[in-house]
Amino acid sequence: MMNAPLKQSPIAPAAALPGALDIRNLSKDYLIDGLPLPVLENINLHVQAGEFVSIVGASGCGKSSLLRLIVGLEAQYKGDILLDGERIDATSLERGIVFQDHRLFPWKTVSENIAMALSNLPLDKADKARRVTEHIQLVNLQGFENAYPHQLSGGMAQRAAIARALITQPKILLLDEPFGALDALTRVRLQHELQRLWIQQRSTMIMVTHDVEEALYLGDRVIVMDARPGRIKHQVTVDLPHPRNRSHPRLHALKDELLAELVSH
Amino acid sequence: MTQSLADIDTRPASQLRKPVWLALVDRGSWLLSPVLVLVLWALVASRGTFSPQLLVSPGDVARAFDDLWHSGELLENLRFSLSRLGIGFALGASSGVLFGVALALSRTVEAYFGPLFQTLRQIPTIALIPMFILLFGVEETFKVLIVTKAVFFPVALATSEGIKGVPNRYFDVARVYRLPLRSLIKDVVFPAAAPTIVTGLRVALTRAWMVLVASELLAADSGLGQMIEMGRQMMRIDVVMVGVIVIGAIGFALDYGLRLLEKRLFRWQNT
Amino acid sequence: MNAFVRRSRGLVLPILLIAAWEYTSRQGAAQAYAFVPLSSIAQGFSQLLASGELLTSIVASLQRTCSGLLIGALAGIVVGAAMSVSTLVERALSPLYHTLRQVPILGLIPLIALWFGSGEGAKVLIVSLAAFFPMVLNAREGFSHVDKRHLEVATVLELTSWQRLIHVQLPAAMPAIITGLLHALAFAWVSSVGSELFLSSGNGLGNMMMNAETGSRMDVVVIGVLCIGLLGYGMNLLFSRLGQYLLRWRGSR
Repeated sequence: MMNAPLKQSPIAPAAALPGALDIRNLSKDYLIDGLPLPVLENINLHVQAGEFVSIVGASGCGKSSLLRLIVGLEAQYKGDILLDGERIDATSLERGIVFQDHRLFPWKTVSENIAMALSNLPLDKADKARRVTEHIQLVNLQGFENAYPHQLSGGMAQRAAIARALITQPKILLLDEPFGALDALTRVRLQHELQRLWIQQRSTMIMVTHDVEEALYLGDRVIVMDARPGRIKHQVTVDLPHPRNRSHPRLHALKDELLAELVSH
Repeated sequence: MTQSLADIDTRPASQLRKPVWLALVDRGSWLLSPVLVLVLWALVASRGTFSPQLLVSPGDVARAFDDLWHSGELLENLRFSLSRLGIGFALGASSGVLFGVALALSRTVEAYFGPLFQTLRQIPTIALIPMFILLFGVEETFKVLIVTKAVFFPVALATSEGIKGVPNRYFDVARVYRLPLRSLIKDVVFPAAAPTIVTGLRVALTRAWMVLVASELLAADSGLGQMIEMGRQMMRIDVVMVGVIVIGAIGFALDYGLRLLEKRLFRWQNT
Repeated sequence: MNAFVRRSRGLVLPILLIAAWEYTSRQGAAQAYAFVPLSSIAQGFSQLLASGELLTSIVASLQRTCSGLLIGALAGIVVGAAMSVSTLVERALSPLYHTLRQVPILGLIPLIALWFGSGEGAKVLIVSLAAFFPMVLNAREGFSHVDKRHLEVATVLELTSWQRLIHVQLPAAMPAIITGLLHALAFAWVSSVGSELFLSSGNGLGNMMMNAETGSRMDVVVIGVLCIGLLGYGMNLLFSRLGQYLLRWRGSR
């Protein structure tokens, strides 16, 4: 089912859906041994509702920090981060995140892990159970409901983490190098799955990755960031319809452009 | 990268510099609760709500300590207890190390002595007190032997584990250089196993101290335990407290002393 | 050498020792006093069983150990967790804890006896204290090493403080708590017997042995020692299995 060909159709992000992100003049310093280290400098970014934005850049704290600020794990910053007009200063179930390490609780089964996200939603038990089952099916983990994380492969655990992040139906999903720890084959499979999920769910997604091909395959836009301090250097728009064909020549051309940009200065 | 981010301090710089007086209070606060407890104790004792048989003031305890010290009684009892501990420890540790070495290096010894050793090790030492009393009477022998037992088993175990823990690589190198057995043990095995063995010695010592005090409490005519028991029977709680504090102090000193020794001997370890 | 012969080598020494014991007991009246013949041990055993004394003693000792262990371990977990979470509690309690820890529990028995008498309550208090001290240390270890990354997930999932405690911190600390529990068990068992030896009113294996010692009944003493060893081993096995079950999510290590 996972490898069945998806319908080719251009899907434009619907402007009326909630989940529009506005970042204006964002700057962030970290304190290392009492001295301020600038990590992000004057970030300006507008993400439309339902858009998929990929962020690539050299290794450095900037990209992850940006995601952590958006999800609300860091509360102190200069500038504005607005989700549908509201300033972000704490975590919320409207914003979900998938980390590079799946961060499933080792002492809970797959179902229990996914259900943890529903702990504080006003749903009754039956509804919760139903949603959990739906999302397990969504990520193709049927049969592994009662497995513990140590029994899962890296790809499966990451799928469970994605289910946990999506089950609250967040306005925006952040992904911090979600497939970086997986082998090449699993990565390709999961990229395909993520694309399928995005087409189905249509939540806004922002993904940080160091894999340029992955960024182009999944994203409507690819942002290139410079490190130390983190700044937006370059942007490309990928105006190809979803679902995408990996071997499309335009993707290759864009890849060359991005690599050149990343390597320069 | 996300792992390090979770640890980074993101407070603004102005919050991080502490005034000097605050830093001092910070350091001093560690002493706060024991001092508070002492003060509370003195207060409650002076109110007289409890009879002198139940609660004496810190001052009374200090006075009792003074009396016992100057009359020589404390020192004499200490001498008895510590000498029993010393002899028992020497016996138990030496035999424990020897046995531990044999157990680790010889499969035959392990096969014949191993199971019995592991079984006997499970028996708590104080459970053996009645048996030892019946076998050896209530004199010195019984006390020294019970300390020996308490020391032998943990030391033998630690020695055996320590030696078994020596990486095989070391043995291979020794074999390449064709080291004779004596040199092998002295220059390779012992230094490598020494940290574990010394830790075992330390644990055994503190346990032996506990067991000795217990046996003196139960059956003795001299020693710290006996001093406490006498105090208890005569309802002299101040004497009992002096005894308890001295026991604690010696236990601490023994443990701390060996820890210091460990640190000095094993500076080459980067734990 | 086949497996059977290899394993039975371990039995050679015990059998020899038992034979030597039996031999010594037959050498004369004086020896028989200390090294009672095996037959009288067997006799003593059936006597104790018949009179019910053995069972009563075992039950009493076990009961005391379990109540003391429960109280002490729970208190230890609570205090240890509090110490790891709050610097204030750590500052307040840690110095006291480390000072009191230096005095072995058996040394505190006379003091406790003076204050609380020699009844069952005093003994359970002693056992609780014995279980408390090791547990505090382990619980504090466990709670202070909860993976920060899991705590971040708890924040992102908007868990309340209570949910955080129950679903993240407690399970994460569980391995350390189980280790602490096994140590606490050993201390509790030893101090239960110790308190019985010292405060010889009431029931228990220690009492049984003290009475036997007074009456020069070596056979009963031997039986007592064997019971204590076996029960201690058995309880440790039981709790280890319990721990393995509770930590089954860890997989092979």
